[in-house]
Amino acid sequence: MLRKLLKHEFRATGRVMLPLFLVLLGTAVGANLSVRVLLDTPNKVLDILGGLLIVAFVIAIFGVCVMSMVVMVQRFYKNLLQDEGYVMMTLPVSVHQHIWSKLIVSAVWFALTLIVVGLACLIMAADVGVIHQIAKGFQELFRELYRNLTAYYAINGTALAVEFLVLCFVGCCAMCLQFYASLAIGHSFSSHKMAWSVLWFFVTLFAMQFLGGSGIVLLDETWLHHLLLGWTDNISGMTAMHWSMLALIAGEVLYGAIFYFLTTYFLKRRLDLE
Amino acid sequence: MAVLECKGLSKRYGHTQALDRVDLAVEPGRIVGLLGPNGSGKTTLIKLANGLLTPSEGEILVCGMKPGKESHALVSYLPERTSIPLWMTAGQLLDFYQDFYKDFRRDAAEEMLQHLDISPKQRIKQMSKGTREKVQLIVVMSRAAKLYLLDEPIGGVDPATRDYILSTIIGNYDPEAAVVISTHLISDVEKVLDDVIFINQGRVMLQSSVDQIREEKGMSVDELFREVFKC
Repeated sequence: MLRKLLKHEFRATGRVMLPLFLVLLGTAVGANLSVRVLLDTPNKVLDILGGLLIVAFVIAIFGVCVMSMVVMVQRFYKNLLQDEGYVMMTLPVSVHQHIWSKLIVSAVWFALTLIVVGLACLIMAADVGVIHQIAKGFQELFRELYRNLTAYYAINGTALAVEFLVLCFVGCCAMCLQFYASLAIGHSFSSHKMAWSVLWFFVTLFAMQFLGGSGIVLLDETWLHHLLLGWTDNISGMTAMHWSMLALIAGEVLYGAIFYFLTTYFLKRRLDLE
Repeated sequence: MAVLECKGLSKRYGHTQALDRVDLAVEPGRIVGLLGPNGSGKTTLIKLANGLLTPSEGEILVCGMKPGKESHALVSYLPERTSIPLWMTAGQLLDFYQDFYKDFRRDAAEEMLQHLDISPKQRIKQMSKGTREKVQLIVVMSRAAKLYLLDEPIGGVDPATRDYILSTIIGNYDPEAAVVISTHLISDVEKVLDDVIFINQGRVMLQSSVDQIREEKGMSVDELFREVFKC
């Protein structure tokens, strides 16, 4: 059933995100043309047009990033807690499957947004006349990457980059779950559901920051602090970096898990569709 | 075994008592009218049966199960408002129902769409309110479910559409299944009902067969409703 939910989720969100990606790539081509041709001409009209194309490109990047967030929140809200919820919440699927489908689809769109924005920047910076040179450049880049991956420090560098990307990805998923949990809690109230949702978002944000901050203060100068200090004395700086990244990832997973639990609890036990 | 059973079922919204210790049972093969004035608790009862609300007290069982993933596979639910995704085409909606419900009869749904001259390629957003309601009813009635819960299926539509909706219900439900129709438009549905449940202010006032009402009270369901709920 999860696969079927995913299929329909991608169908529903793709009709918004894919045209946006196309617009972004289109504005990237426009910005490329602007940089290479329009901004270099003495003609004032073409100069202004060139400037506008670059502004459109920047707005498109901003728009796509914002929309991937908006679609993520709006889809959960409209599909499960508004009118469509009457159809969705009576499907023979579990609440867990509903949440996972929303989370996976949001995560995929976040990742695709990152890739498409990167691609758009490449297009904007590319010299269209020498596409074959770019292809050649990529070939060399991958060869170089492979060579560097075999070196000790590069492996650490690559590993840190991968850990950072995983951290960003897990962080985005945890943030999604925080939005979902706030909406689910807010919609368990019989009135002013959206206002309660916004309030609960800030309450949970404050609570998590307070708990995190208090944890750091309380653990200062405790046995754990000394244990960690003693341990880090015996390991290299790079190893400590890897452990720190892994600890941050684990922290984000825990952060997301708390909101996952809250979302499932409120959708299962406290659902109150208007 | 009763297809739908409520035992001491209560639901409160804050200080408002929507349902108050409701006990009832709906047997298979019956078409039951859940009748009551606006705000009497009909929609609340149907939502509880679908797991869209959680009871404050008591329990509600669908084919012996608490509402959930398993019971959803046996219940075909028509909400009081149009809830099908508006961005879909009629054809995509059929794909959606076919994907999630094993008992969905696509051929029956396509035949009904064709009968109403609705193109599978037409977006639901582009349809009139009445057509959207018909499409929603078509997908709901195209399932071979054990229990059909139809919340105000004829509210807000013209008399010709009402006739179409009622004939669709009668012509498509599985005779082994039970149909619960919630409405306050008694005269329109009376001809199709086997049993009635009168509900007011969250309490069941009467549960009886239509024949029994006619024999014992000597009046139609509509006349009895008007007498019981006289303002």
